[in-house]
Amino acid sequence: MLSLDFLDDVRRMNKRQLYYQVLNFGMIVSSALMIWKGLMVITGSESPIVVVLSGSMEPAFHRGDLLFLTNRVEDPIRVGEIVVFRIEGREIPIVHRVLKIHEKQNGHIKFLTKGDNNAVDDRGLYKQGQHWLEKKDVVGRARGFYQENRSVENRNYLFLILEL
Amino acid sequence: MAAAAAQGGRSGGSGGSSGAGGGSSCGTGVGRSGLLDKWKIDDKPVKIDKWDGSAVKNSLDDSAKKVLLEKYKYVENFGLIDGRLTICTISCFFAIVALIWDYMHPFPESKPVLALCVISYFVMMGILTIYTSYKEKSIFLVAHRKDPTGMDPDDIWQLSSSLKRFDDKYTLKLTFISGRTKQQREAEFTKSIAKFFDHSGTLVMDAYEPEISRLHDSLATERKIK
Repeated sequence: MLSLDFLDDVRRMNKRQLYYQVLNFGMIVSSALMIWKGLMVITGSESPIVVVLSGSMEPAFHRGDLLFLTNRVEDPIRVGEIVVFRIEGREIPIVHRVLKIHEKQNGHIKFLTKGDNNAVDDRGLYKQGQHWLEKKDVVGRARGFYQENRSVENRNYLFLILEL
Repeated sequence: MAAAAAQGGRSGGSGGSSGAGGGSSCGTGVGRSGLLDKWKIDDKPVKIDKWDGSAVKNSLDDSAKKVLLEKYKYVENFGLIDGRLTICTISCFFAIVALIWDYMHPFPESKPVLALCVISYFVMMGILTIYTSYKEKSIFLVAHRKDPTGMDPDDIWQLSSSLKRFDDKYTLKLTFISGRTKQQREAEFTKSIAKFFDHSGTLVMDAYEPEISRLHDSLATERKIK
């Protein structure tokens, strides 16, 4: 028979205390979840914080940088801004810069993107037959980034620049 | 009764291995109730890590609770604890609603519901903080003594304790609220936890129980004099 000494604390608890322990754990998870959802509501973006996955935006962003996004309706997308978008049918969002925009009177836009470090624009990445991106593909516009400095002396400097 | 329990506890350490061997053979015969009995270790002496402050406080609190409930046969009132559990449950409920709603209706449509849930969650957190700070304080036991003659209302005994971080002084406060006169009297003691635990971390009820009884009797006798 195994000696379950490490479970002694649990065995000594009555039902209420056990339930409270479960609730405690649930509250920690809920707090993290609510902070994330709260950020989603405030920024208007479905993924307010993203990680840069490729080196296509060097030297501005490197792999592993964090980006803070907003997706407010009243902020129009302009050429030169950095947007995070999803291509239809693909899960992973892409971080690139806006190159060209066609805008109609009613505010409907079509735009083309390109990574700073890429040689060509993103038409090759878009869906078959798609030449422009639309507002609905956008996850958000980059408003600030968080970067760890890769220093030779092995010290980490943290840079946080917020453009409001 | 307490002395006998301590005696049993000290020999229980050596007899525990043989007891466990015997338990496994008869456990299958008895069935579910046997398993539950083996799970509960109310009679085993409390052994904790003596350097872990929160474990020490919890074991002292639980033992004080046991003394009041078993020796004096008071009835525990779960009102305070239930209040806290309800607030926590409601908060988790808001979180779960937000999660499921967002899954069913992807983001932009779920914005108002999400906003509502997030705000409600943090409001509940605020309520919980106020509740634990002001209503519950550090009370961990509310016990009622039913009046034997049947006259309402009951007398209430409250236990609260404190043990500062990295400190060895444990303060236990017993509050008595008379049912008839609504008067409140309290008594407390502050002692080093070294007086109650032996070097291996086992709580020695012989040393702890008289303290509790002394606190209790000092409040009970005052009442008789009045």
